[in-house]
Amino acid sequence: MSTGAEAGIEVVGAAKRFDRVDALATVDLTVAPGEIVTVIGPSGCGKTTLLRLIGGLETPSAGAITIDGETPERAKGRKRVGFVPQAPALLPWRTVEANARLLLDLNAAVTPPRPSDPVDLLDRVGLAEFRDAYPHELSGGMQQRVGLVRAFALGAPYLLMDEPFAALDEISRADMRHLLAELCEPVGAGVVFVTHSLAEAVYLSDRVVVLGPRPGRVVGTVTIDLPRPRRPQLEDDPAFFALESEVRALLLTGVGR
Amino acid sequence: MNRSSRSGLWITVGAVALVLIWEALVRLLDVRPFVLLAPSRIVSSFADDPGFYLSDAWVTARHLVVGLAIALAIALVAGSALAAWRPFEHAAQPALVLVMVTPWVAYITSVRLVTGPGTPAAVFLVAFVTIPAFVYATVGGMRGADPAARELFSSVDASRREVLLRLRLPSALPAIFTAARFNVGLGLGAAYYAEGAAGARSGLGESGFRASALNEGPWLWTTILCAAMLGIVAQFALILTERRLLRWHQSQRRA
Repeated sequence: MSTGAEAGIEVVGAAKRFDRVDALATVDLTVAPGEIVTVIGPSGCGKTTLLRLIGGLETPSAGAITIDGETPERAKGRKRVGFVPQAPALLPWRTVEANARLLLDLNAAVTPPRPSDPVDLLDRVGLAEFRDAYPHELSGGMQQRVGLVRAFALGAPYLLMDEPFAALDEISRADMRHLLAELCEPVGAGVVFVTHSLAEAVYLSDRVVVLGPRPGRVVGTVTIDLPRPRRPQLEDDPAFFALESEVRALLLTGVGR
Repeated sequence: MNRSSRSGLWITVGAVALVLIWEALVRLLDVRPFVLLAPSRIVSSFADDPGFYLSDAWVTARHLVVGLAIALAIALVAGSALAAWRPFEHAAQPALVLVMVTPWVAYITSVRLVTGPGTPAAVFLVAFVTIPAFVYATVGGMRGADPAARELFSSVDASRREVLLRLRLPSALPAIFTAARFNVGLGLGAAYYAEGAAGARSGLGESGFRASALNEGPWLWTTILCAAMLGIVAQFALILTERRLLRWHQSQRRA
């Protein structure tokens, strides 16, 4: 059972090796309940592997991971984690609303503690009038918004997001990070967000964890002490640029420049 | 004129041209009725006793539909197991390939001895020869389910049953429909042949075999064309079902 002392995500000495490839060196990471932590690093450094280990989609070769004191497998079985994959992964035969309900419909015997109304959420992300549409009728950005709603609708205390905006153009991407901040802030879920984008990392996070090249290891952490709620004009603030520079410098240190 | 009326028009033009060329060739080359009958004579042969041909067509349609339904049911169960476990898939290959490549004309006597004559033999043969295409479609379609969606299902610990019914099976539907369209022709051939060769009491195949034995060209060719019409009706029914069930699939969308 979970206890207060174990609350949050704890990654202790986790490493992952696939056959002859070390994907992730030993990594320690904690994410407190309600905290938004971004993992950033060069391509192939093991960011996604780390996320998949936390989500119980892979098992670590070494070390241990707990979510509120439980193993990732147990947390998965209790639907304590909402997952947002890189591709929207919408089911083409389900309408937008049915896709938004998907994670609630699956393993339905496990009642989520605080499910949100997917229709309300679709309204909040500007897709109310597309409830009955099919995924192929939506743009890439709209599809990814449905992917976010699907994860938020679960009402899980933790969300894992794997570069969800990677395939979008720069303007859609900015819109999506602003929308995600608006969705995250009132929910109070702990979030692990994987990205390549400095702007996303700084705008969304309470903390940014920088990984070095493969096999990924933590090369540094930057605390983002910008005020919340965060709004788009923050991105013109000198403090925002300073934090972006700090994260960039750590990234470059990680790759040996 | 919109796109669908235009394609409908061209299909009609093609059909009329086919019938006219067929009629002209038979008349110009003076082809014997037993070798190939002119469409006009097939129509008049049918018009002489439509009830006779329609009741035979109804029997053959039943053999076809029941055989295909049994094949599909077996293929869905077997295909789900094969898609879930690769060693199973490898182990099943010899049997599937053997069924596909062995000419059924050669073993119809054994089928008749095992199942008994008539309807059981016809239904068995239709099901037997159409299973492999359905199995391959089911396995391929299920394996092709979006990997990101599979991870999503796994992220909330969805059961195997949920993964099968809510992800793998819908993903396999387009391939299963393609196999069904191929299997309609194959199954119709099997039904027609088994009715004749395995001693059915009625059916287009039985009728055609008797016509052959009696050297009755018009009768034979009318059963052949009735079987072809049955196939066209079955294809059309499949297309309509596909349009309804696979509205979401790219094959059903207008460019």
